Amino acid sequence: MTRKIDEVAEIFRGIIGPEWVITERVYMESYLRDETPDVSRPPAAENLILLKPSSTGEVSEILKAANEMRIPVFPVGGRTGLVGGCIPTEDGIILSLERMNRIDVDEENLMATAEAGATLADLIGAADEAGLFFPLHPGDEGAQIGGLISTNAGGVRAVKYGVMRNYVKGLEVVLATGDVLNLGGPLIKNNMGYDLMDLIIGSEGTLCVITRAVIKLYPKSGCSVTLILPYDDRSDAIRTVPSILRSGVIPLAIEYVEIKELNKAAEHIGDEWPVQSGKAQLIIILSGRSEDEVYSACEVISEVAEENNAGEPIIAETRDEQERILRIRSNIYTALKAEMVDILDITVPMSRLGDLMNSIDETSRKYGVYLPVYGHAGDGNLHIHLMKEGGEVPENIGEVKREIYDAGVRLGGVITGEHGIGHLRIGELDRFISDKELSLMREIKRIFDPNNILNPGKIFPRG
Amino acid sequence: MGDQLGIIVLIKQVPDIEKVRFDFETGRLDRSSAEAVINPFDLNALEAAVQIKEAVGATVTAISMGPKAAESALRDAIARGADRGILLTDTRFAGADTLATSYALSSAIRRLSSFDLVICGEKTIDGDTAQVGPEVAEFLGIPHVAYVEEILEADKKRIIVKSRMGRNYYVLALRLPGLITVTKDVNAPRLPTLRDKIRSRRAEITVWDADSLSEVADTRLFGVSGSPTTVARVYAPHAEKRKGMIFRGNPEEAAEKIVGVLKDLRVVG
Amino acid sequence: MREMREEGDVLVFAEQEDGEIHMVSYELIGKGRELADRLGVQLSAVLLGCGIEDGAYELIYRGADSVYLYDHPSLREFDVIRYSRNILSLVRETKPKIFLIGATRIGRTLAPRIAAALRTGLTADCVDLDLDDGNLIQIRPAFSGNIMAQIRTRTRPQMATVRYRVMRMPRRDTSREGRIIRRQVEVIGETGIEVLEKIRADEVNLADAEVIVSGGRGLRRPEDFKLLEELAEVLGGVVGSSRPLVDDGWISKDHQVGFSGNTVKPRVYIACGISGAPQHLFGMRDSDVIIAINKDPSAPIFNVSDYGVVGDLYEVVPILIRKLREELKGRE
Repeated sequence: MTRKIDEVAEIFRGIIGPEWVITERVYMESYLRDETPDVSRPPAAENLILLKPSSTGEVSEILKAANEMRIPVFPVGGRTGLVGGCIPTEDGIILSLERMNRIDVDEENLMATAEAGATLADLIGAADEAGLFFPLHPGDEGAQIGGLISTNAGGVRAVKYGVMRNYVKGLEVVLATGDVLNLGGPLIKNNMGYDLMDLIIGSEGTLCVITRAVIKLYPKSGCSVTLILPYDDRSDAIRTVPSILRSGVIPLAIEYVEIKELNKAAEHIGDEWPVQSGKAQLIIILSGRSEDEVYSACEVISEVAEENNAGEPIIAETRDEQERILRIRSNIYTALKAEMVDILDITVPMSRLGDLMNSIDETSRKYGVYLPVYGHAGDGNLHIHLMKEGGEVPENIGEVKREIYDAGVRLGGVITGEHGIGHLRIGELDRFISDKELSLMREIKRIFDPNNILNPGKIFPRG
Repeated sequence: MGDQLGIIVLIKQVPDIEKVRFDFETGRLDRSSAEAVINPFDLNALEAAVQIKEAVGATVTAISMGPKAAESALRDAIARGADRGILLTDTRFAGADTLATSYALSSAIRRLSSFDLVICGEKTIDGDTAQVGPEVAEFLGIPHVAYVEEILEADKKRIIVKSRMGRNYYVLALRLPGLITVTKDVNAPRLPTLRDKIRSRRAEITVWDADSLSEVADTRLFGVSGSPTTVARVYAPHAEKRKGMIFRGNPEEAAEKIVGVLKDLRVVG
Repeated sequence: MREMREEGDVLVFAEQEDGEIHMVSYELIGKGRELADRLGVQLSAVLLGCGIEDGAYELIYRGADSVYLYDHPSLREFDVIRYSRNILSLVRETKPKIFLIGATRIGRTLAPRIAAALRTGLTADCVDLDLDDGNLIQIRPAFSGNIMAQIRTRTRPQMATVRYRVMRMPRRDTSREGRIIRRQVEVIGETGIEVLEKIRADEVNLADAEVIVSGGRGLRRPEDFKLLEELAEVLGGVVGSSRPLVDDGWISKDHQVGFSGNTVKPRVYIACGISGAPQHLFGMRDSDVIIAINKDPSAPIFNVSDYGVVGDLYEVVPILIRKLREELKGRE
């Protein structure tokens, strides 16, 4: 920052009130990191101001002022990302919309209007209160709406209703100039020119600041169950996934997990993983209008599982038991994190999942490294973890990572299915997309944010 | 039954406590607001029974009292390892407090030819009384141990358990027939297999009405007429009036204020 | 003055463990005194054990008019059959109108057997007691503390178990006088329950703590309980937790405060990163002073707090620890 922090802070105190302008480093510690493993997370810059506006109007004034002063703005949500996407890597402003957390549910149109700072937990709760359901569950419920949309979050329950993009029906955004734009709305059909809303979803805070969103909700399912299918051979597990989808049953989620990591995760949270048979397991969440509908789907899955050499499937039916399973599953990452260097996010066409798995095995053998794998098999999306060895980052980690990336792309996939580019994957983007595509992206960024004040240094390299 | 233990597990179907809503105007529970599940503590009781069955051989009978819909809880118990389910259902059982509930359940147990061990959950999450187990034991005239946290041994004659009372743990030998109530710490209930779950959906549940217990019980002591306690009123718990001084902004200053408060309260030093 | 005998006394079960009277029994003596005075009847206590006569005097100092004492080696350890048989004969003989028992594990093991044998009503886990036209109104939570219910009993005695630390502790007055009535103990040999081993438990005791520092969802990882431990240590207190963290296995169950955990009544309760779900508030709202630290100014915990800090516990708690240490150092 060219101007002194005090001087700049004074301007923002005038906009949002002195208590919401934080300049002491010690009080912004938690805003300087996300969930990226420590050894890979970029350090935060030195001179930062944390702003907590309470309205779209205030966000607009902040951006206008920042743009005039050419001060970088780093919008943050719940800081649950895994690629350093919200880390304030340059001197500037951290913009947290946590005070903007209202949610209104429109029961008739099955829509929620949520401010960007509302958390996933708030949204799930508000939907539930209204007798509705928000199916997506990208892990940490402290994630905020703004972040979920900016990163087009995915997670566990994306098989049936899709990822965040499929839920967003309208957006209110603030441009770098301070202009407020309303895009989309509670409509099923809308062909008014280019779809800027869809462009903004997943743009990782580099095009504008999302302040409010209209989000699609679903009726509560009458019945939901979680199945666990154990396998001795992981390729049998992988082969089951497309067979299930071909059978006509569409689960909410199909997760691939391995017993070793599940036991670690369960131990981490003082629990026990309920199924100890089989090295590899599929967790399948099914929902439907009635118990009969769900159980007939269970029978189909049971047959498919048997054809693919699964062991005895286990079922969880109560909310308590299903939440326990999801809780343990969601804690694999936290259990591994201390020993982790990076979490990869390869997505391939579902038919190639087996090939991807084989290729990871090969890499693991070739370099002699432990590569725990789990993920959203129903979406072809696998998380491969690069781990420390003896507490240290292995020297060949770069080669291991490159080999996995290359395998993913060779199999017709991408290097990130849901985590995004953020800071960690910047170097890879130009390796895997064409120059033309990259330059179009850069041009779009320039049009939205000519002074490059919005989350600079993310997605594209600086300069 | 021969050498096999006859184990009875008492289960109750309860609404999912985190989801259920209460209508304070009518004083009624909106049962449609939440799914009905087996009382979580009863799952521990059932798992304890199934573990004994696996270890030394036993037949496990699950008994419940409730509306016809509670059959699903008994089917679930069968999926989880019970051999059969008995449902006490009759409008004459309805409106029972813990005494009338215990009387009806103990009457049903009496009607069964023989049993060795009755296992109950520590308490239910809706009633929260922890009274039914001990009251059933009294009605049956058998000894009981409540709050069992560990089962160490079981055979036809006795069961050795660990229970916490006050500041101490006790390892106790309970002569059978006897009754125990178990806490959540006693085990981690397993999940049923899909196969057992599907099969149990078609399982036959024995249904007994009040008259089917008339030979072993005084049916006037069931339900409302056998219940000495009545709920006079229900209301939402209210938060107390507090000072409500809120410090915001500078944490350093706020902390200073709190330290001042703690000093005034003489808890520092 | 009403005819006392017909009315029946108020009777309190005085629980002792290893010869020491449980504090809940004194609290019941306090409440029982109030009820007995309002009814114009006597307050008596029943105490069972071995070599516990001193305890009987303590009950009188706290407000009992008389104490029925069952002192015998067979009653040294709690045995539900031996205890209930002896108490039953006393109740059948003295016909109390109201019989109060602490809602401890011992109380909740014993009371239902007595109630069933007497075919009388028993209300569990009461948090308040009142009188209406001479009848007992028993106030208790249900549905995990989400509702409160008022219960009446049409049979006699009206029996209730009462939660620890919800009633006021009566003052000890050694000048009080009362009668100690030694009762003939019915000695029962074989009861079907045999103590093979007794092991002292070493879990944290939240119920007796003066200061409790509790953590909730605002904590980001299990290790961060260390921060709260530090604060608790400086204040000579112990660490508590809200239910979700116990459910997630971040801390053991004995630390849990709330409806499904411990009801606590410390002098100071510091809630760090706890939003204040009804289930948690139930367990701590009777603390003398409540201090809340939470980022969310709209968190319900602030509605029950005496002092609140709107801020990140990760910022505020370390500052608190530092300042308190400075304070302590200054005193040395």
